[in-house]
Amino acid sequence: MRAMTPPRSRALTRAWFDIGTQSVGGGTSTLFMIRRVLVEQHKWITEREFTEAWALSQLSPGIHLVALAGLLGRRIAGLRGVVVSVGGMMLPAAAITAVITALFGGIAQHPLTVAALLGIGPVAAGMTIGLALILARPVLQRGRYAILDLALIVAAFAVLLAGVAPTIGVIGASAAFGAVFLGRERPTSTDAPMS
Amino acid sequence: MEQVALFLVFLKSSALAVGGLASLPLLRTDLVPAYTDDAGILQALAIGRLAPGPNGLYIVSLGYLAAGWAGAAYALVGASLAPLAILPATVLARRWLLSSWFAGLVRGVALGTAGLLLATGVSIAQTAGTAPWQLILAALAIALTVHGRLHPALLVGLGTVAGLALGR
Repeated sequence: MRAMTPPRSRALTRAWFDIGTQSVGGGTSTLFMIRRVLVEQHKWITEREFTEAWALSQLSPGIHLVALAGLLGRRIAGLRGVVVSVGGMMLPAAAITAVITALFGGIAQHPLTVAALLGIGPVAAGMTIGLALILARPVLQRGRYAILDLALIVAAFAVLLAGVAPTIGVIGASAAFGAVFLGRERPTSTDAPMS
Repeated sequence: MEQVALFLVFLKSSALAVGGLASLPLLRTDLVPAYTDDAGILQALAIGRLAPGPNGLYIVSLGYLAAGWAGAAYALVGASLAPLAILPATVLARRWLLSSWFAGLVRGVALGTAGLLLATGVSIAQTAGTAPWQLILAALAIALTVHGRLHPALLVGLGTVAGLALGR
């Protein structure tokens, strides 16, 4: 049991609000903020607890940072901590995201916006390809098993582009392939982006 | 009923992907062309990189484009609920989580979604424009993202300037 008294909801909300709104760019910048605020600043979480929660969050579906917020929130203040942490991180950032989208919709037809989008589009697509490559990058460090990983990435890529199987089928097949053939290897790499 | 179906689309895309942006291939399959188009997807991705918080929050922008504020709320709730499956799992099935087959399963999904995300990126790059300057811009964005030195917001800014200068 921890000797520490759980922090008040207001302080916890404030901490996660700061994390959610001050970490522009997502991924590692958000992870960095979480560690700095919870471990170093408030000392609600020890270094070891943070590392363990991070490793577990990598096994979650969806946005790993949400799983991390949930795990750390539970550690700090139980169920109340989960709700406050996930809500505090996600709600303000989501509100800002939705408001930017709404404002953008108002000027979407303006000739200058149309021109800007001709440049923003390729950048957004390029960043997506870049993030996919980062997700796949650990393959290059995996020695003789790299061929299995590479085969899985290439197969998923080819199947989706050729349109011969539904996306969800590819994910199911990847899960089954991984459970049977990739289990002897270490779990998801620490190089994988937190997003 | 349609609202419930839309919420389930967002929940499913987060529940069956490992990582924030990994939900994109499933979302594109389910939302294009019924709710939005590739231009909408590109716009949501760019806004997701500009706004604070996790990368995966692009899904809220996509939700707004699909069904306004209600769509944004569905996306937010779906993306927030799915990862929390880890909470009961750490209590009820900790042994499974630490087993080698489960590690392999997660790894398989991560690698499969990397391939899917790559294919989705290539598809939307084609709809983003194939003029030589746009292809160069996309290649630059890939290199700078993998290199990780330039802030994503600056990268979107670079695209904006290039579009204003060359897109008219």
